[in-house]
Amino acid sequence: MSDILLEVDELSKKFCRRLKRSLYYGITDIARQAVGKPVSTALRPEEFWAVKEVSFKVSPGEIISVVGANGSGKTTMMRMIAGIYKPTKGAINYPVPLKVTPVFALNVGLRNEFTGLENIKLKAAIFGMTEAELKRKLDFIIDFSELEYALATPVGNYSSGMRARLSYSVAIATEPDLFIIDEALAVGDSLFKTKCYEHLGEYVQEKERAVLYVTNRIRKVMALANRVLVMRGGRLLQDSRDATAALEYYINDIVGDKMTDDLKEMKLKKIRHFEM
Amino acid sequence: MQGWLLEARIGNGNTMRQFIGKIKSWWYLVKQLTQVEIIGMYKKSFLGMAWMFILPILAVIIWVVLNGAGVVNPGETDIPYPAYVLLSTSIWGFFLEAYKSTSNLLTKNGRMLIMSEVPLEPLLMQKVVVHLINFIIPFAVNLIVLLAFGVRFSAMALLFPVSLIPLLLLGMAIGMVVAIFRVIMVDVANLVDEGMKLLMFLTPIVYTPKITASWLGVIVDYNPLTYLIGFSRDLLTSGTLFSPVEYLVFSGVSLVLVVLSFRFLVKSSTMVLERLINN
Repeated sequence: MSDILLEVDELSKKFCRRLKRSLYYGITDIARQAVGKPVSTALRPEEFWAVKEVSFKVSPGEIISVVGANGSGKTTMMRMIAGIYKPTKGAINYPVPLKVTPVFALNVGLRNEFTGLENIKLKAAIFGMTEAELKRKLDFIIDFSELEYALATPVGNYSSGMRARLSYSVAIATEPDLFIIDEALAVGDSLFKTKCYEHLGEYVQEKERAVLYVTNRIRKVMALANRVLVMRGGRLLQDSRDATAALEYYINDIVGDKMTDDLKEMKLKKIRHFEM
Repeated sequence: MQGWLLEARIGNGNTMRQFIGKIKSWWYLVKQLTQVEIIGMYKKSFLGMAWMFILPILAVIIWVVLNGAGVVNPGETDIPYPAYVLLSTSIWGFFLEAYKSTSNLLTKNGRMLIMSEVPLEPLLMQKVVVHLINFIIPFAVNLIVLLAFGVRFSAMALLFPVSLIPLLLLGMAIGMVVAIFRVIMVDVANLVDEGMKLLMFLTPIVYTPKITASWLGVIVDYNPLTYLIGFSRDLLTSGTLFSPVEYLVFSGVSLVLVVLSFRFLVKSSTMVLERLINN
């Protein structure tokens, strides 16, 4: 087994600030590609780097939290790793074939007028499971989501926590080697959250697996991460195995300017004296 | 196993066995999405799936009533005019729906495509399956009506379903290109949508291919749909082959176009998806 699951190399992605111009660039890029010409990798007017030259490697057993203010490029980077967006420059390498499950919005694909069980099937299919695979894992999903009593109820009548639990349970049941979670980690009430943290901790130890998740919540970083990436303006500024140090850096140097001293002090205290 | 998107979009190998393996792995998704779409349409109705039969029967009743009221007969049709129009419009509808459902592929599924790693192929397959289901039931009702109009089918009529394939391919080929434009240049998509309405009148559907009006006659002669629709229609009603050479040529063209359009769609989709901000 390889000791590297994922290699992100000088990854960059540009976007355009203005809609019409973005569409115009889209048309020219597609036209250039269609006739076999290279697509521009330099910034054109109104374009900016959403992610700029980010490099890191992911090893088995790592639970990596990606931290950054809004617009720092976290989701864009995750979407490139998941293969949804194409990088402008740089490369994403999987040295060994991996099963990757990305979760960007837990509720995507759920149909309110269908029952919990029907939605489990639908969601499993969206995550790429086959019928046979779902059959094997259905008990786990029902058990993990703690929704057995509500399987025949339309999902439209679920609370948002219940919906999230259903989707999260299906996602984790796909047993990914690399689990990518964007703002959707640890859902439901506090008991269920704690269960998710514990489960993920064991999950990466069972086999050669890793988790990459985006969050801005101190609690979610401290409870789970064994490595923290801090991003700002599309760049990776800090890559640390010391979650406390990384978060202190994030609060002091990245978002601190916009906080009152009291708030900053409170956040730092929460980091330094964190308890599950 | 790699995540299926990475296999599908980045691609690794193209052997037939891998391709069949992929289709198998997508099949459950196709099945689930199809069930959700078909059942979802009637989920809140008390009559439920019966609507799949009620709607075409109602449509047919309207036709019969119009016929009774004395619809103008343009003459020269081998079968009664209402039966001719009914059959022609349903074959036209088969083409148009293939276009419509594929051309909405990215916009309708946009959220799913940017929020999860679902590849395009199963979504496209699902569109075809739903399209076929939505076509078959009303069409079966129409066939009964044709029988009532005195139309008799020959053994050649058994080839009718196969003869529709080029129409499906042509509709999808146009639809896949328009799907891209619907995101980045909606002007083109709107123009093609409107163009389809015009195209219906430039195709012998409510009139016959024997039309002699000079400019319309010329367009009809060069319109691939004249042959693709006419061939299927004659196969079913008279068992004869309508312009078989033109039919085969335009079938070949449709096949080539669908392959090119699919490549264009897959190659362009990532560039388009990042611009899909209305989801």
